Parts: sequence; C-alpha cells; structure tokens
Amino acid sequence: MSDELAAARAKRVAEMQNLPFDGQAYKRLVEAGLTWLRTNQQTVNALNVFPVPDGDTGTNMVLTMQSAYNEIKDLGHHKVSDMAAGVAQGALMGARGNSGVILSQIWRGVARGLEGEEVLTGANLAKAFADARDTAYKGVVRPVEGTILTVTKDIAIAAEAALEETDEPITILEKLVAAADASVEYTPELLPVLKQAGVVDSGGMGLYLILEGMLRYIYGEPLDTPTMTVQPMAALEFEEAMDSVEEGQDWEVVVDFYPENELELKPFYDALEEMGTSIQVGEGDGMYRMHIHVPLENRYLPIDYIMGLGTITNIAMENLLAQMDELNKNSEKDRLELTNIEPGEIAIVTVSPGPGISRIFASLGVAAIVEGGQTMNPSTQELLAAFENLPTDKVIILPNNKNIILAAQAAKEVTVKEVHVVPSRTVPQGLAAMLMHNPEGDTEKVAAKMIKSLDDVRTGEVTTATRTVEIDGVNVETGQVIALLDGKLVLAATTVEEACLSLLKKANIEDYELITMFVGADYARSEANRVADIVQEKYPDQEVEMQDGGQPHYQLIIAIE
Amino acid sequence: MKIRLVTDSTADIPADLLTKHKIEVVPALLIIDGESYADGEGITREEFYARMPTMQAPATTAAPSVGSFMERYEKLLSAGAEKVLSIHAASTLSGIFNAARLAAENFGERVQVFDSKQLSLGCGFQVLSAAEAIAKGTAIGEITHLLENLQKKLKLVAVLDTLEFLRRSGRVSWTKARLGSFLNLKPLIELVDGRVENLGAVRTTRLANIRILEMLREVGNLEELVILHTNAEERARQFLANFTSNLPAPPRVINVTTAIGAHLGPNGVGFAAVRK
Repeated sequence: MSDELAAARAKRVAEMQNLPFDGQAYKRLVEAGLTWLRTNQQTVNALNVFPVPDGDTGTNMVLTMQSAYNEIKDLGHHKVSDMAAGVAQGALMGARGNSGVILSQIWRGVARGLEGEEVLTGANLAKAFADARDTAYKGVVRPVEGTILTVTKDIAIAAEAALEETDEPITILEKLVAAADASVEYTPELLPVLKQAGVVDSGGMGLYLILEGMLRYIYGEPLDTPTMTVQPMAALEFEEAMDSVEEGQDWEVVVDFYPENELELKPFYDALEEMGTSIQVGEGDGMYRMHIHVPLENRYLPIDYIMGLGTITNIAMENLLAQMDELNKNSEKDRLELTNIEPGEIAIVTVSPGPGISRIFASLGVAAIVEGGQTMNPSTQELLAAFENLPTDKVIILPNNKNIILAAQAAKEVTVKEVHVVPSRTVPQGLAAMLMHNPEGDTEKVAAKMIKSLDDVRTGEVTTATRTVEIDGVNVETGQVIALLDGKLVLAATTVEEACLSLLKKANIEDYELITMFVGADYARSEANRVADIVQEKYPDQEVEMQDGGQPHYQLIIAIE
Repeated sequence: MKIRLVTDSTADIPADLLTKHKIEVVPALLIIDGESYADGEGITREEFYARMPTMQAPATTAAPSVGSFMERYEKLLSAGAEKVLSIHAASTLSGIFNAARLAAENFGERVQVFDSKQLSLGCGFQVLSAAEAIAKGTAIGEITHLLENLQKKLKLVAVLDTLEFLRRSGRVSWTKARLGSFLNLKPLIELVDGRVENLGAVRTTRLANIRILEMLREVGNLEELVILHTNAEERARQFLANFTSNLPAPPRVINVTTAIGAHLGPNGVGFAAVRK
C-alpha cells in the first residue's frame, strides 16, 4: 500500500471512529457487505465443487442479503439491536439455497447477541459472533467442517481473542476479516472434496466478502469494482439477459474468440459499451465468449471489432424480438392445471426445474409449483408464498434438490401451517414420492409414506462439465459430458449417448424395469429420441420412456426404477 | 328353516364351493363388440383377457335382468326353500344389487337382498360365511348382522397394470384429479365400503409386488385369503412365493371374473383377505 493510500485510509478510519456505530451505521455496513458480495458474485459462484451448473452459492447469498437489506433500508431506527433484528428477519425470509439459510442463521445469531444494544462495541460484536456461531451450527443437522460454519467459528474465536487487546469495533472488525480470510483459505485442508476440486469453500468465501465489504466501506474504498471482471464461461446467463431487451437493442450477438495478446479488459468493455447493452464476457481455457445486445444497424460492429483482437471461432446472431415471441408462445402453451385444494386436504408444494416436469407434477395433483432447481434455488419466502394462500393448513413440500431442502425447512419454521418437508433430492425422487400422495390422509402418515418411497427410484443426470477437475476419481475436462448417479459423479464422456449408456451400465440397469428420460430444454428432441432408441436396443427387457422435462443445463435427467 | 343363498357371478366363488354349499349364481352380462355373453359362459376368462387388447370397442358389462333374478327366486321357493338370501356386488359400483332388489319386491319377506359393499371374493367371503351360518341353523336376521361385522374385517386391494380401464369405466372420480396422463402409472386400489379408493401408484411390477405384499402383511393374522389376478396367474404365484401365512392351506389363486376384469384391465394382481 502506498503511503498516500495508507494516510487516506487512516484519516477515514479516524473519522469513522468519531461517529457512533448505531442502527444507521449498521444499515450502511450491511449495504456495503451486500454490494461487495454482489460485485464478486460470479467469483463465489465459480467455487463449485462439482463441475456442474449447480445451486450458485454467490447468487443465493446475494439474494439472501438483498432481502435482509430490503427489510431495513427504510427503517429510521437508531438502536443497533432494532436494525440487527430487521436484518435477521429479512435474511430468514429471503434465504435461498443451503448457504443462504446458514447465512440467515448467522444474522439471527448476530441479532440475538446485539439484543438491547444501542451501538456496536467491540464487546457486543464479539458476543454477536459467538451467538452467530452457535445459531449457525444449530441450523444444520450434521455440521460439516471446512464450510461457512468453520469460518463463522474462526471469526467468533478471533473476535474473542481481539477483545483482550481492544474494545474498539473497527479494529475488531479488521481482525474478523483477517480471520475470515485465513479461515477460508484453510477450508480445503478440512474438507477433502474442496481440496480435490482445487477450490475454497464458496459459502465461507461469501461470508468473508460480506465482512470485507463492510471494512472497505469504513476504509472508504470502492465497492463496485470486482476483483475479477471476466466470468467463468459456465456463469454466463444469456437467457436472463432476455428479460432486459431494451427498445432498439433487438439483436443478440455472441462471439467466441481467442485473443492474440492478453485481452485488456478496460478498453474492451469501453468499446463494447459504445455498441450496445447487456454485455457479458466469459472465459474458459483461453477462449473468450462475448455477448451483447445491439440495434439492427450495429449488428456487425462487435464482430469487426473483435476480429481485430484475435481469432474468431464462432459467431451467433439472433433476432431477439422473434425469440421473445417464441418464448411468449411457449409460455401460453405451458399453462398448468394445478389441483384445487379443499380446506382440510393436504396440499403438495413442489419445486420444478422445467415446464415439462411441472406439467407432470401438476398431472399428479400438486397444489403449487415453485420454479427452480440446480441453478436457481427458490427462497424461503417464495416457498412460503406458494402455500400461504392455499385454503388448507396441511402442506407437504418436495424440494427435489439438495440445495433447497434447508430453505423448505426454514419455510416450515416461519408458518403457522402444519408443514412437512419430504427431502427429495432429485426430480425422480419427487415424482416417486408424489405417487404415494393421498390428499385426504393424515399429513404425518402421508409424509412418512412419501419419505419411504424416495428410495424406490435411482436418479441419473447428464450434463456438461463447467470446469476441469478431478472428483471421486473421475477426471473431467471443461465441455465434456458428465453423468451423475444419485448425486455422485460417476463418469465423463465425449457424447450424451456415451454418457447415458455408461451411466445405465453403472446403475446395473438389468436389475431394473423402467428407464424414464426427462429431456432438457437445450437438448434436441430428435437427438434424445436417437439415444433412447439405442438404449432400448441395448436393453430390450427394460422399458424406455421419454418425457419432455424442459430443465436447463441438464440434457437428461433419468429415473431408474 | 330352510334358507337358500343366491349371489352373482362377480363374487368369484370357485365352482366346488358353490356345489358344496348349494349356492345359486346369476351371471352378470358381458358385452363384447356388440355381442352379449353371460359371465362365465360362451367365453372363458382366459379367452376374454386374451381378446381384450384387440376388441374394437372396450368391453362393457350389464347387470342381469330383474326377470332372471325373479326366475331364480321362484325356482328356489317352489323347490321348498322358505327364505332366500341374495348377496351381491356393491350397489355403488354395479346395478346387480338393484336388479335383485326389484325382483325381490315380488316375494315380500321371503326374499331378502343384501349389499355386500364389496366385489369379487370380498363379496364371495360373505356368501360363504352365510352358508356356514345357515348350516349351523343361524336365523336370517342374525346372518346379516354377522355379515356386517365381517365387512369390517375384509380387505380387498389390487395393483392394476394401467389406469386406462378404470378411467374409462367412469366408476371412480379420482382418476382425472390425481393420476394424470403423462406418466404410465400402475394404480394401487382398495375397495372400502363400496368405494374404490386410491392408495397411490407405482411404475414398475417389481414395486407393485412389494406394495401388495406390504399391504398383505399389514392385515395381520388371517382368517381367509385368496390371491386375485386379472389373467396374470404367473405373477400372482410369483408374489405368493414371497409370502408365508398362518393359514393351514395355501390360498387359492383366482382369475377374477371378466365382468370385473373389463373395468380393471389385464395383468392386475391383488388379494381379498379376512382378518381374524
């Protein structure tokens, strides 16, 4: 750090130290934590153990923090305890994914530790993190070390130790951030899957970024410049960009290229911003992918520009308005017929990753469907909203994803309705459970039957690897097709066909009767048909059934029964 | 007092027991591609199920005529019976009971019609139990009381190979509401108090067998048991092989009457049991 910068920082800290750390200051700290986390969201998302498009921790934590901040942003309270209670409430309602739920538990603990306090002090900050640690550990059935829990614990220990030297909150916060940083770096030593994947724990990283953001605010450092501007290729979300098609910017251009020299990001972005909107840039194994929305007359500009930077390997150009029409038409077609629930009946709320799967769940009598799955974990609030207005007090939730189970359980905690969570980890498990549903039965017994049925089916998943990694003894390269069996990575292959056949072999398919393939949104139906034919030919004794799943990222979800 | 028993062909009582207890059977009617057959006559159960997939229109059923019941009652009474007890398939699911009831009105107190609220051996066990009571000289009022008690101890469940036939029969309301048309489902059903209830569904025969076996074990100590199937004898025996009971003899395996099978479809298995 230059002397100049250090002096500026010291001056700013001295100013801050003169201000009371009251409720309003707490609000600004939370906002700073949220902003810094959002700025680095993709970095956290990229810390995925499995090379699959999975419940993105960064996105989940940002949405959880956003909900926490929304709860307090208009509050005028001056007591820090009131503001902390608001953050806890907002985080709880907005919690998404496992990391979001644990984060909400942390804020709940912090609020508990700050109860009755007017301003933040070193002592109550330490107590707040001690309580946060206790609440977070209690919020998880089987705590695992090397995760956000460990980071929370290390923060609590550091805060307590720091108290022996000072009671000054900023100094203590500095120690907390340093402890969080060290703790995150150490997570791979505690959790072998992290070490194997060559990443640190994403949830812990998210927590560290929130605290670091608070400190950066105190230091007066910018919060909107990310530490990494280029996203990993898999993090690009072009479809989300469809939601924001601006007037006139109705052509989408995607260019893949290898830059001749190292790409200088600042001038690259500046040039693109001159041409259009919705700019996203991704990188993987040296190849860059640029995405932009431009007006009709500008549609060749980005191509000409990039041609001057390196070698273009692929160009895609599409008329967004035509695409939007298509999307609208599809959503019209996909209108669901949900079951009307009578008072006293059991309502099933299910999470579905795709329109085809939603349709099947609807046909089996679910009362409400929450969209979500691998890449988009619905929040506690969204699950709650799905059943709060149903005319019954009896509810069973099927999360159908391991990252949504905790949010479902959190929804159960905050409602007066009788809610049971049947912890289905996959769509086939959710469907198997659904077959045992009896709307007029005793809720507890029905839930027990449904839980028992989860083991009636095995789940295969076929997707494209988003990273190069070695997991569970399987070597995977970015772009390869990989297969998971009951959530465990079992193989990597070059084609979906090969992955599918090897997967079925690994599952000892001869011992089963029925193979149901749910075809993903990005996988051509004709291609799926071809693979299904090959499977049927190879296994004539098994019945092969194909269903339109419509799920993103996963070419095939396979139920093996 | 001499009491004679009448039932209908849907009770599925084996021929040897009918003879033994002198039980009269009025056949239900089966209509296949426009032609009408008396249940159990003109076409065998095996033939019927074998033809099922190729029938131009789905087979339908009809209750025997009021006249055929009147003839039967007349015959028994003129042959010396003092009373006739006529026990039939659930009135909620079939018109047989009503035809018998209308016929009985012509005979006053002499003919009494009883609603078994069951099907197949669920009704059959009641008829056989009545026969035993008659043999012991039990009064008719007492017998109907006995049968009402027996109904509480009966369990009749089945897993069908497909929902298709039941859906088409229009006899249950839940087929559309719950077990929608996207997945091929094998529904689990139970007959309770004259209603076909849905106990869920499975998607494979392996699981179907497991579920039926679980339900059979849940019955507990058995007084009576028959294994029922709709032309799936091999499967029924397979499933029976995994079951040991407290019963002195192995249970009979019965191919369900076509009049019921027409509404269930082939390749279903189940059981009718009486709890001790």
